[in-house]
Amino acid sequence: MISKWGEMDRFPQQLSRRKNNLIYVMIALWLLVGYRFFDLQVLRYDRYWNRARSNSIRQVTRPAPRGIIYDRNGQPLVDNSPIYDLKIIPVDVTEDFNFELLARHLQISPDSITAILNNHNRGVSRFHPQLIKRHVRLEVMAQLQESRLEFPGLFFSELPARIYPDSARLSHAMGYLRTLTDNVLDQADPALNYHLSDVYGAAGLEMTYEPLLRGTDGVAYHLVDILGRELEEPPGASYYPPVAGQDLVLTIDARLQLRAETLLGGRPGAAVAMDPANGDVLVFASSPDYDLKSFTGPIPVDLWNEWNTGKSRPLLNRVINGTYPPGSVLKPVAAALALEKEVVSTDWTVTCNGAYTFGNRTFHCWELNGHGPMDMHHAIKHSCNIYFYHLIQRLSFADWGAMARGFGYGSPSGIDLPYENAGVVPTEEYMDAKYTSRGWADGNLLNIVIGQGDMLATPLQVVQMTSLIATSGQAYHPHLNRDHQPEPMILDLKDSTWRIIQKAMWAVVNADHGTGRRAASSGPGVVSGKTGTAQNPHGEPHSWFTGYITMPNDQQLAVAVLIENGGKGSVEAAMLAGELFDLYNLLFQESHVQ
Amino acid sequence: MFNKLFYSSPTLRLNPKIIFPVILLCVIGLFILSSTSAGTPFHSSSLYKQLIWMGAGLVAFLIIQTIRIQFFAEYTYILYGLLLLALGATYFMPAISGAHRWLNLGPISIQPSELGKIIVVFTLAKYLADRHENSNAWVVIGMAMFLAIIPALMVFRQPDLGTAVIYMAVTLPMLYWSGVRSYYLFVIMAPLISILAAFHLVSFYIWIAILILVLFLSQPRLWVGILLVFINLGFGTLTSLLWNNLYPHQKQRILTFLDPMQDPQGAGYQIIQSITAIGSGGVLGKGLGEGTQTHLRFLPVRDTDFIVSVIGEELGLLGILVVIAAYFYLVFWKVTYAEIVHNRFAGLCMIGFSALLLVHATINMGMTAGLFPVTGLPAPFISYGGSFLLTVIITVALANNIVSNNV
Repeated sequence: MISKWGEMDRFPQQLSRRKNNLIYVMIALWLLVGYRFFDLQVLRYDRYWNRARSNSIRQVTRPAPRGIIYDRNGQPLVDNSPIYDLKIIPVDVTEDFNFELLARHLQISPDSITAILNNHNRGVSRFHPQLIKRHVRLEVMAQLQESRLEFPGLFFSELPARIYPDSARLSHAMGYLRTLTDNVLDQADPALNYHLSDVYGAAGLEMTYEPLLRGTDGVAYHLVDILGRELEEPPGASYYPPVAGQDLVLTIDARLQLRAETLLGGRPGAAVAMDPANGDVLVFASSPDYDLKSFTGPIPVDLWNEWNTGKSRPLLNRVINGTYPPGSVLKPVAAALALEKEVVSTDWTVTCNGAYTFGNRTFHCWELNGHGPMDMHHAIKHSCNIYFYHLIQRLSFADWGAMARGFGYGSPSGIDLPYENAGVVPTEEYMDAKYTSRGWADGNLLNIVIGQGDMLATPLQVVQMTSLIATSGQAYHPHLNRDHQPEPMILDLKDSTWRIIQKAMWAVVNADHGTGRRAASSGPGVVSGKTGTAQNPHGEPHSWFTGYITMPNDQQLAVAVLIENGGKGSVEAAMLAGELFDLYNLLFQESHVQ
Repeated sequence: MFNKLFYSSPTLRLNPKIIFPVILLCVIGLFILSSTSAGTPFHSSSLYKQLIWMGAGLVAFLIIQTIRIQFFAEYTYILYGLLLLALGATYFMPAISGAHRWLNLGPISIQPSELGKIIVVFTLAKYLADRHENSNAWVVIGMAMFLAIIPALMVFRQPDLGTAVIYMAVTLPMLYWSGVRSYYLFVIMAPLISILAAFHLVSFYIWIAILILVLFLSQPRLWVGILLVFINLGFGTLTSLLWNNLYPHQKQRILTFLDPMQDPQGAGYQIIQSITAIGSGGVLGKGLGEGTQTHLRFLPVRDTDFIVSVIGEELGLLGILVVIAAYFYLVFWKVTYAEIVHNRFAGLCMIGFSALLLVHATINMGMTAGLFPVTGLPAPFISYGGSFLLTVIITVALANNIVSNNV
């Protein structure tokens, strides 16, 4: 074999031609490749430079902090605190990853985490952060960040969210935020410049004052890597800082509000209080309420279903959307009409023996034994039905309806909240439409005048009426935003009319045998009011009380309390109102001692 | 036996025409790896591992300078047999990422197909050198191709298309060097071109027209000419059959090559990001460590298959031209020495090694620029990767050995 090596001389052919040809082929190949690079890097440089830039420079939205909402004394009722979505980048996960510990922090099973990662361990998706848990609270995130080394690939993205201090809840008035969906985005005001996955006010004040509270998102340009992780800002990049939303100062007094919420204690009902002199709403409580914290994140289906279908319907804003027969708290309307039209004199008397027969029906007074002889003052003080059965027959139904509307019934108060109900003030046309013209008779009017039957009102309308009475017709429509220009609510009646009603309502609370004595307060303010016990088809009557307190400096507070199926107005509702008046007195004294 | 393995008095002569471009390419590679390794601890970075492999390459280089080239000629067929055995053995090894490429030898795994590139060159050189008198005999041509096709098919089934292409690609220039007529090589290449052209109907017609023209000018016997035309038409129609036998990832690579934009987030992703990286580098590049495509991780496998894209982005067209010039210089001198060396076996080895280098370099660079499909062939001396770096260093070591001993 060795010998053969020596024989392996050069090829007999002329090799230099073959060498040159091979080199020409090589030159051709390199020219082809080289031209391609020249083409990309010189001729099409701009295009690829821009493409590389748009790959890596991303417009990053800097969410504007939402306006904070305060009560009238500057106590925050809602503030901002980010929440976090927890994600994991599958490709960065190593053997050191402590799934057990992460699962314990998140209170989910380790298998569910590994299952998500196993679904994304190939292809481009393993480079992208995979969502493990939505809406992780700040405390949990901080704990996880402390043991970062145990979780390679862990990643948080920040979302703006509301936080609610532990004081008055004001759930229904406050409203809540939701994440924007396509539907909402289509209908939204373009001026608000929404992006998908923004949050927006979906109810209550958050909704009404959305343009004010929202602010303007800032824009920054960031260098991001393929995972979308933000790196440093490129030099010379423009930056538009976010403009925070405006703060909102409410007319609510958190101390009174908290007391009202505590007193309602989850019983279905409502309590609302306002300053008649300017329309400031100091208390706006609907019960049962719901924890607004539940809205920072997806609402569990069972909780949502329970809220919507459960008997107590916590999502119902009873103050403006609950329509109830107002019962006897409506009696001042008929009294005012009678006095104004001079249909009866103040000494006109009806004898109440507990029952009244009209046509072939018998109507009862709540006092089955009868009140005896009743004039207007006593009829209001004792809330005698029989007196008003007689009175309504001397009044025109149309005049009565007009007076009821003058007191604010049958139309929304105009409070700065969405979706307010108007209630119902029945008219002849309404009754005809509902029952046909032969289906109802004057007997129905007997029910309507005592706030039963077809008459429906919201608690807010009742407190509006009381405001008018307290101010002799010079009140304001209710509002929750302190900077909202109050709208006057004027009912022009004779001074004597107002005085008679006011005196009777004083007697309800302060005279012997008045029905509203439980609402009395030890002073210095003087309480007047009216009870109501509204029959309804759902069981026990609704318990109503409405009244107002007048302080030595003429400052006033009008209150309406409703407790669904709470029994007599003279008991539960009056007691609750009394407690509110007590606190109001106390706060008045505190502020005037200093 | 061992006294034949080494030169009796080995002397270390380094040929600058071969060594200089290799050192230049290695240094460029290290600079790029230092850029892509930024942020990772040094001891786990690919820069560190590449330095270790280069150290091993240096040792291998020095050892090879002491070995007689004749030894390889003598034991070529034994090496060839061992290669086939080793390739066969890989099928019985557990698959890594779906491929049976590795031979697991206790603590280390080796990829026999890498060293196989050198052994295939040895085998063809030996066979063609021995048969030089009748190199144009179809039996010799056929046998030479058969010797390359056997390991190529075995590698193709691993599956490793890129290496199989290399085994076949070195065959043609070596046949040419051994004196085979260009017309014969054209006939050999024709069916392959028919298959490729058949993807596009107009291209296929043009190709068949060129084929008939070449046949007419070469004046073979009439029946041979007609037969060749029909054979090529047949191969063209076979394309669809062949297509259906490809692995999905191989089909995907071809489809992606034809139109990267059809799937920008999936298979076309690598190509698009690579082209963007290169194009955005411009003439002077963004500077070492400044490439956004590279450092923000838009560019995939930037240490190995797409390291040239990093050069394009960070060092620009100038960097690319330096790399091309280095490859060109190295291959140019290897081919030139192939003519000068006295020995047919040694000359054929030089041609084979040149082809090995040229095909790797052009296919890799063409791939990063979207000129060729993604085949997974790394760039010689630059790409990170132990076995392949060692392989190309050994070819250079052998070339230096041949030239300095002027065998």
